[in-house]
Amino acid sequence: VLFPTATFAIFFMIVLPASWALMRHGGLWRPFIIAASFVFYAGWDWRFCFLLAFSILWNQGFALAIHRTGAARSRKQLLVAALAGNLGLLGYFKYYGFFVTSTNNLFAQLGIDLPLDVRSIVLPVGISFFTFMAISYVVDVYRGDFEPTGLGKFAAYLSFFPHLVAGPIVRPGELIPQLETPRDPRYVDTSRAFFLIGTGLFMKVVIANYLAANIVDEVFGAPELHSSPEVLIGVYAYAVQIYADFFGYTNIAIGIALLLGFTFPQNFDAPYSATSITDFWRRWHMTLSRWLRDYLYIPLGGNRGSRIFTYRNLMLTMLIGGLWHGAGWTFVAWGAIHGSALVAERWWRARPGFVERPPTAWRRAWHRFVTFQVVCLAWIFFRAQSFSDAWDVITQLFTAWGEPSPLITGGVLAAIAVGIGSQYLPRRLPLALMARFSRLPIPAQAAVLSLALLVIHAMGPEGVAPFIYFQF
Amino acid sequence: MENETRRRRRPGRREGEGGRRLHSAGAAIVVSLVALLVSLLLNAPGLHKSAQIQPEGWKRDVALGVTGPLDTASSTLLLDQPRRALKAALGRSGDDVVDTAVAVPEPAPEPEAPVARPEPLTRPLHTARQPLRIWIGGDSLVVVPGESILRAVASRPSIVPAAPIDGRIATGLERPDVFNWFTHIRDLMRSQRPGAVVVMFGGNDDHGFMTGVAEGVTIGSFGSGSWEREYRRRVRGIMDTVTRNGAHLTWIGLPISRDGEQTRRYDTINAIVQSEAAKRPGRVHYLDTYFFFAGSDGGYAQYVTDASGRLVKMRADDGVHFERPAGDRIAQEVLRVLGERFRLRDGP
Repeated sequence: VLFPTATFAIFFMIVLPASWALMRHGGLWRPFIIAASFVFYAGWDWRFCFLLAFSILWNQGFALAIHRTGAARSRKQLLVAALAGNLGLLGYFKYYGFFVTSTNNLFAQLGIDLPLDVRSIVLPVGISFFTFMAISYVVDVYRGDFEPTGLGKFAAYLSFFPHLVAGPIVRPGELIPQLETPRDPRYVDTSRAFFLIGTGLFMKVVIANYLAANIVDEVFGAPELHSSPEVLIGVYAYAVQIYADFFGYTNIAIGIALLLGFTFPQNFDAPYSATSITDFWRRWHMTLSRWLRDYLYIPLGGNRGSRIFTYRNLMLTMLIGGLWHGAGWTFVAWGAIHGSALVAERWWRARPGFVERPPTAWRRAWHRFVTFQVVCLAWIFFRAQSFSDAWDVITQLFTAWGEPSPLITGGVLAAIAVGIGSQYLPRRLPLALMARFSRLPIPAQAAVLSLALLVIHAMGPEGVAPFIYFQF
Repeated sequence: MENETRRRRRPGRREGEGGRRLHSAGAAIVVSLVALLVSLLLNAPGLHKSAQIQPEGWKRDVALGVTGPLDTASSTLLLDQPRRALKAALGRSGDDVVDTAVAVPEPAPEPEAPVARPEPLTRPLHTARQPLRIWIGGDSLVVVPGESILRAVASRPSIVPAAPIDGRIATGLERPDVFNWFTHIRDLMRSQRPGAVVVMFGGNDDHGFMTGVAEGVTIGSFGSGSWEREYRRRVRGIMDTVTRNGAHLTWIGLPISRDGEQTRRYDTINAIVQSEAAKRPGRVHYLDTYFFFAGSDGGYAQYVTDASGRLVKMRADDGVHFERPAGDRIAQEVLRVLGERFRLRDGP
């Protein structure tokens, strides 16, 4: 079930009042929300509900076992088993075909014909997200940062439908305590929830879909047929499209959770206003970057060793982060570009005699510009289906200046301007808008929301394309 | 008693970040419900169209049952006017219109006596100065092969695209209400005047529900005689619309799919297209893709060894759509067909 559809609206209009009605009765509320989440998940393919149920039982079982075991060695063995199960599941569904074809082709180049079987495997939607959340639960229990909760609460945590298929990746410490105490029905942050849902719908339904249909798909489909300015604007448009798509989804998810009384962490903080790649990763998909930091980079050793050791850890984290996004070498290349940029920035700052110059407006603008170009270069590999496709886009950026550019229209430029410009708005503006909205009488709030839905629905395309991040 | 009083007392106001006022869950429910209901009325024409173009089944029936009266109420109360004005301002007034007219050319009369052997068709010459204009369209299956074709012709000055790839998700020849290909191709042939047309249809047509059927005509289940007659009429209509405007048509056949039942249904559609193409030699070419993507056992395979001996992913995870290598394989064949039909001179 996609968020911006009538089916979801009906589903949510049943779940919202029922959830609040049952909220005071934890014993009833949890089974209800788990059932609702499974119904939501079954909207894609009911068979994968068993997979989600397996993940719940597997991780809860190991978390309890780790908690009850005293011996350090046994605890470690249990953790390794739990992780093996999670990564095995992810590996089978997401990476099986990729590894088998890569291995087969590698050996074929050496003249060895491997009899490895390639099966056709359907990727369960959201598996990367709920697997990462499950891992964080087991690891937090192992580290002693978190005590295992009851099966019902853990099931509600892992399957909670607002975050289930595309995040944000919520930590056990952030959500499970909220699931343990009934939410207070007197104080709901409705204005923030409606603001997030409204802006999320606008970014996804209007901006992302418009750019995809009017320039991105055409430019990346056959770059050789387009002028250099078109390809350049097409790449910028993709940067805005993927941001609008994912930022939009996350906003809707956070808004829906808020209406149900739950607070999710922020996932984006104006990423295209970043002044370095390090800064970018503090602002883009923040719940993933902190997951990678806490459950991968730091366990790898983090920056607790030599500089080379730190660079290696950074690079490995970004390469694995790239592979998490998709089973393909182009995603690894995307991670490699970001990893290299992070390493280069660290190396630059660690040079002897390096002095951080005071930031001026021009210097900040220049840093933002350069950072955005590096991010866009990486997006080319992220969007392309192969290295050869990515190379075609890059080549075309330099070889077709002066040709007509009919795809660069006022609408395309306006959508890009909205996507990027919205990240430079003063932070007090949305806060002021939300405060003003919250002071409107209830009928006026409903009227404003109705008008917003009218504009979004009328400006959007017929039908809504799936969110890009669902495939991850 | 004191507890009772406390319970009845209005909760004190509490403010969130930036001084925004927090509201009760009841207010959240009321605002959400009212906003949704009002926006249903404001967007009723669009919602009614969305309901109409859904796949056949109980969900469509329910959606039509709800959106039909909503549309009427919205129109009576003039609540549909803001949407119509907004659509007009965006230049998209036709978005909410449902067009089910199957406008196809009248079939050519059957000759009463055997005609003389038709003259062999000439192979028109196309060069960089007079390039062959190619148009590619169809359902979502055509997008990946279409991109591969456009990439392949980018280095060939003798062929130029007449328009971007016209691949429309969830469309086909059965449901002109979803998207009317008959009107669209007719208009396109007049406005763009392509010399070669490449289409792929049928991926969403493997069911028995058709719209745009003449009044009084009943269509049976998929594959029945009445279904086949009507579907054949539509296939013929597309072929005649293209060829009578002087263009050559390459019709890409449906591939083997992961679902065996679906593959059998696709076979039925392919057989109709193939037989109609055979009646138009030199003007319509049916491109059979079945064995391009079959595994060594002749069945469906997601990964196939390509010409260079590498194992490549040919089919998307849904078991129907193509990956880029599959698109390239089809593009290679389409260009071979065009090379046989036209003299394409890329050099000076």
